[in-house]
Amino acid sequence: MTLHETEIEKDVFEVAIEFGDLPLDRTEIELTLGYSEGDIPVHFSGMIDEAVEQLPKRCNIRAGYRILDAHRPDGRVDGLVVGGTFFKLDKIVTGQIKKSARAALFVATIGPSMEEWSRKLLKGDEPALGYIADVAASAAAETVTNLLHDHVGEKMRSQGLNITNRYSPGYCNWSVSEQHLLFSLLPKNFCGVTLSESALMHPMKSVSGIIGIGADVKWKDYICDRCGVKDCTYRATRRKESLNSKP
Amino acid sequence: MENLVARIGECVERGKVNKSSPYPNDMQGQEGTDELTRQALDAGVGPDEILQACNDGMKRIGDRFSRNEVFVPELLMSAKAMNAVMAHLKPYFQTGTVKAKGRFVIGTVAGDLHDIGKNLVAMVVEGNGWEVVDLGVDVKPVRFVDAVKQNPGCTVGLSALLTTTMVNMSKTVSEIKAQFPGTKVIVGGAPLSQKAADKMGADGYAPNPQGVVAFLDGGVQK
Repeated sequence: MTLHETEIEKDVFEVAIEFGDLPLDRTEIELTLGYSEGDIPVHFSGMIDEAVEQLPKRCNIRAGYRILDAHRPDGRVDGLVVGGTFFKLDKIVTGQIKKSARAALFVATIGPSMEEWSRKLLKGDEPALGYIADVAASAAAETVTNLLHDHVGEKMRSQGLNITNRYSPGYCNWSVSEQHLLFSLLPKNFCGVTLSESALMHPMKSVSGIIGIGADVKWKDYICDRCGVKDCTYRATRRKESLNSKP
Repeated sequence: MENLVARIGECVERGKVNKSSPYPNDMQGQEGTDELTRQALDAGVGPDEILQACNDGMKRIGDRFSRNEVFVPELLMSAKAMNAVMAHLKPYFQTGTVKAKGRFVIGTVAGDLHDIGKNLVAMVVEGNGWEVVDLGVDVKPVRFVDAVKQNPGCTVGLSALLTTTMVNMSKTVSEIKAQFPGTKVIVGGAPLSQKAADKMGADGYAPNPQGVVAFLDGGVQK
């Protein structure tokens, strides 16, 4: 899919993504909830329908990225310099992106409306629907980020470059406090996302992070195998997907 | 009468709130915790007996959750059914006829906005007869310390989802313990483990809401 992008500043791009562009996967939501494919009780399946129905009305999608030069400081295995700023990363993550000559710092969001609706339901009479709405909103935000990631990949491939997996502060042992560094390299209120003092994003259903770019970097499948966090929602979902895909 | 009490426990376990509730599918049209609790109280059943049936129902659904037989939506439906009971029992708590088992202060630590797990624990713990003080998300250590000051004798639960906010969790445990060494602290959340809990000096770790209840009901022993 080719997405349209606008350069709002030098090397800073906002990418137009419509809700209709999202290949939302219902099964993914069921797996994240914990159910194996086809095992979800009918009542909760109806709630997924209700939450998914709300998404187009409530999603205000914005996504963008900035391309900056990157390099690994000599002899160091604990991070990467991007746009002159050193990001302290886990050894495993550094290993994945150390050959990057450039990096895309990105932000993607679906806006605040889904999380507000979900919170209201959770605190009111429909906590199960509120929870399912939250999971559906997270799935939408991840799907937006997938599209943005693919878009960056396509653009770089057209220039003869490769991209890495994406990494976000707060995950893979990358301190959430480094969100402040990441956002300091982006325009103010980029894509309508702001940071709290504790380095948390508003709207909540937003994803930020880094994608390595270079001639010698690679995309890796099964990145979970390399991460030390064993009890993670995403790892559990991936495991169920893998079990479901077995004949 | 015994049957009525048992049915309340079953409705809590199955998440059956009232007659008009379509959940669960196989109990459509049947009375739920709302109607049955009213009937039980009118028939002279003691609120303690009703509460015990609810606790048993919550324990059964919590155990099934621990075994991955049911998931968060089922647990939330049970909590909702339990809340319908609590609405009827509220006057008994207010007059002191029924006493809460104790007070549990809970919050998601600073740097973390994830509140689903924390809310779930709060609901299950409350459903098991504890009074819950929910401090919300992104809670700084000083707010936990203040809450302990304001709720003497309480137990504290700390939640985190992000691996990197475990540092803040550790700091929170230290600050609570420095000022209130006798206050028990239990931690939980995706990146946590018993080993991590021990390392940060917490008194307990629970991988699920039922584990928190077991910790609290077990006399808050390490």
